[in-house]
Order: sequence, then structure tokens, then C-alpha cells
Amino acid sequence: MGYVLEARGLVKRFKSVVAVDGVDLTVSAGERVALLGPNGAGKTTTLLMLLGAITPDEGTVDIDGHRLPRGRSRGMSEVGFVAGYLPLPDRLRVREALSIFGGLCGMRRADADRAVALNLERFAVAHLADRMCMDLSSGQRTLIGIVKAVLHQPRLLVLDEPTASLDPDVAFRVRSALLEVSGNEGTALLVTSHNMVEVERLCERVVFIAKGRVVADGPPADVVAQYGHEDLEAVFMHLAGTRLNEADI
Amino acid sequence: MSWLRVKTVVRRHYLVLWRSPNRWFDIVVWPLFDVLLFGSLGAFVAQENDASRAAAPYLLAGIMLFHVLFQCQISVATGFLEETWSRNLLNIMTTPITEMEYAAGLAVYALVKLAMAMAAISLAALVFFGFDLSAVGWALVPIVGVLLVVGWALALVVIGMVLRFGQSAEILAWGLNFVVMALSGVFSPISALPGAVQPVAKLLPTTALFRGMRTVLDGGAMPWGDIGAGAVGAAILCALSYAFVVYMLRTFRRRGYVTRFS
Repeated sequence: MGYVLEARGLVKRFKSVVAVDGVDLTVSAGERVALLGPNGAGKTTTLLMLLGAITPDEGTVDIDGHRLPRGRSRGMSEVGFVAGYLPLPDRLRVREALSIFGGLCGMRRADADRAVALNLERFAVAHLADRMCMDLSSGQRTLIGIVKAVLHQPRLLVLDEPTASLDPDVAFRVRSALLEVSGNEGTALLVTSHNMVEVERLCERVVFIAKGRVVADGPPADVVAQYGHEDLEAVFMHLAGTRLNEADI
Repeated sequence: MSWLRVKTVVRRHYLVLWRSPNRWFDIVVWPLFDVLLFGSLGAFVAQENDASRAAAPYLLAGIMLFHVLFQCQISVATGFLEETWSRNLLNIMTTPITEMEYAAGLAVYALVKLAMAMAAISLAALVFFGFDLSAVGWALVPIVGVLLVVGWALALVVIGMVLRFGQSAEILAWGLNFVVMALSGVFSPISALPGAVQPVAKLLPTTALFRGMRTVLDGGAMPWGDIGAGAVGAAILCALSYAFVVYMLRTFRRRGYVTRFS
């Protein structure tokens, strides 16, 4: 099986706190996977280890067959990263910032500029091309973030809370954009989200993390059945330790 | 090493420079006032008696060569700080660019800023005080070359400190230059410094370079000894700074400090 991402036995401790405790995670080519868990479960730490931004205490990460940290540069050329909370560089126009990200991914300037124009059109945000990055709304920033992440046609898109704090209509556009990228280019998606409805619409496999460990891994329907609940949200509540009445649910 | 990615880093910071009027203070405004300050001080001292007529060239050449180090250091350090100010560090870290390519991009960008700053202050020194830095002669070339290396090395120290201690350490981006300025005998021999700090001053590669500069201004021969000592010191400083920043980057990744900047 060709994995675009393969992490084995990831462990991360911050002083006496074990944030991630033996996580195994694989993403196959073209697969859409959600990494879920309550706050403090270890999702972001796991994600940052997968991206090479944090070094694991134990375990290995391979991206498209390149072992981190030695193969980080070649591995990251197959990854696009979007985070709802991450701004684009101040004092650059959208077009310039995107062209620069293309360059950092190894694209020639003319190729990067062409890819920028094409993808701004594709995601219906061409009207933002000459806007300063610092003037974008959070929804616009996320859409531009997706354009940034797909410029170099990576094999894996990693998205940390891509629709957090977005209006439903903008969240819908973001989801549609992601499904289009995955469907048309066979790009694998690894998404973290607290929105279970979104996860069910977007992903074909969910991986639940609680207290730094993988506690469930499979198609959403299987995971829901495993915990004997009605939907992913109830599973999430269960894992977060929240007890709800039937009426609340 | 991808030259394409190095060029992209230069372009990124060059674009920001043109959109940031505040950055021009470091490149043009402060250097101009430094030339005015030290040039007028030198002119005043020279008027007092004939024996002090070398003061103006000493001071002007000193401040101008100090700006070689200053511009290199500040350009690389603030280039990196720009990524922290705009919370762009995680964006950069999740692209294929390597640390070496990024540092090389900042170093090249520093040369662009240095050229602009030196053009401004050379013109000011010529117009206001009739001083031409080329009076230092061919010795200028190796001295400037070694000062560039020292500037880059000091910037790596600042970046390492920011990686380890966060943005509170950014004060060093400006402050460290003035420590070096005070201890390197930029304007006068280090024998004028208090005895307690002279041993530290002797260890700095910049001390030998500024001593060499004064030798040439006094009409002496090419100061190969001083230039060689400066070059060896700069190479050692560069190796130590590189090891320091690599260690701090490893600590930064191990302790997950990237979340401080995102």
C-alpha cells in the first residue's frame, strides 16, 4: 500500500505531561482522513510532528517515503498546509504572497504566477489578488490558504481547523474546494476539526485521539457503531467525557 | 541548496522593505545621523589642535565600517523577526525550504540593504565632510568582507536567542551591535577602554579590523596581520554561531516552541 503519510509510534512529552503516547497514523494516496479529539487530546502536537515542526521523542514519520527530519525538504514538497488560525504574511499582496509560497516550494516564478492566477480563479477568489494579506477576513484567509497549499500540486493536504470560526456559507465553500481538489487531483486530505457534521461530509475515515492515544480508527459509520452512539458528535462527547441527556443530544 | 528558493526569500523581504517606511530608518536615517554626529565630533576635535586632525577620518571611517557590520546583522536578524511578527514562521517551516537556504536568502538580502545604506552614508560623508571612504584603499575590500561575516554570525546568535527565549530576545537585534561597537575600538584603540574590559575587546575579531583600518588611514602598509587575525576570529565566531543556532533550532523543535509564534 502506498502511503503518502506514515507515522509509527509517535511519542511526545512536555516535561511530565505525555501529550502524544504511541500514535500510529497512515494516510493513503487520495484518502480523506479526519484527526479528531477533544481539546488537549494531542491533535495539534501530532499534526506538528507530522509536518516536522516538532521533533517526536520517539517514533518515525515518513512523507511520501521520505523519513523526517533528514528527508523533510523532499517530503514537504508533497505537502500543502492550511490552518484557519494562521495568517498570511503582512505587507504583501495576496498575489505576491502566493507567488512567494510557490517559490518556496521550488516553483519557478513564471510557473508560480501562472498557478496563482489559475487557482485564484478556480476557487473564485481572483478578486482578492491585489488585496493586502492583512486586510483579508478569516474566511477569505482560509480560501487563500487553500490556494497557497495546492499551488505546487502536493499529494497531501494537511488542514488544521480549516473552517473554525467561519460562517456556514464560507465553510461550505471551503469544503467544496477541498472535495474538488481531492476528487480532481487525487490529493489526500488530513483534517482536524471540531465540526463533526463537516467531518462526516468531508472524510471517509476518522481517527480519534484521546489522552494522546488513538482510540478509534475507521470509517465514520464503523466508529459510531463501535461506541454504540448515533453519530460522530455523540462519540466525540463520549471521548471528551461529557455526559448529556437524550434531550440535549 | 536550491538557488530558486534562496531568490524567493530575497524577493519576499525586498517586497516587505518597500512597503515598510519604518525599515528605511535603519537603512538611511540612523546611518545619516551617525555620519553627522561622528563627522561633526571629528571636525570639532580637529579644529582644536593640529595633532588631532586625524580624528575626523578615524571617526567617519569607523562609523561607516561599523555600519557594514550593523546593516548585515540587522538585516538578517530583522528578516527572521519579520516572520515572527507576521506569525509566518509555521508557514515557512511547512514548505520544503531548508534552514540553510533560508539563511542564505537573508544573507543575500542583507547585501542589498547594505549596498543601499553604504551608498547613502558614503554620499553624506563626502558632501558634509569631504571624506571619501575609499581613502582606506584596497584594505577596504578584505576588511569589509570580514565585517560582513561577523555581521551574519552575530545575526545567527540573535536568531538562536529568539528561537530559545521568544520575542523578548529581539532587543538583542539592535543591542548586540552596540556592545560590539563599544568593545571593538571602532573609533579609538582599545587601550582607551577600561582595563577590565580590554581582554574581552582583544578577543573580538572586529577589534583587529578597526585597528587595521586606522593603520591604513595613518598611511601604513596593508595590515595583513590584523586582517588575518580578524578573518580567523570571524571564522571561529561564525562556526560557534552556526553551532549555537543549530542547537537552538533543535531545542525549538524538541520543545514545540513553534506554537509561541503561531
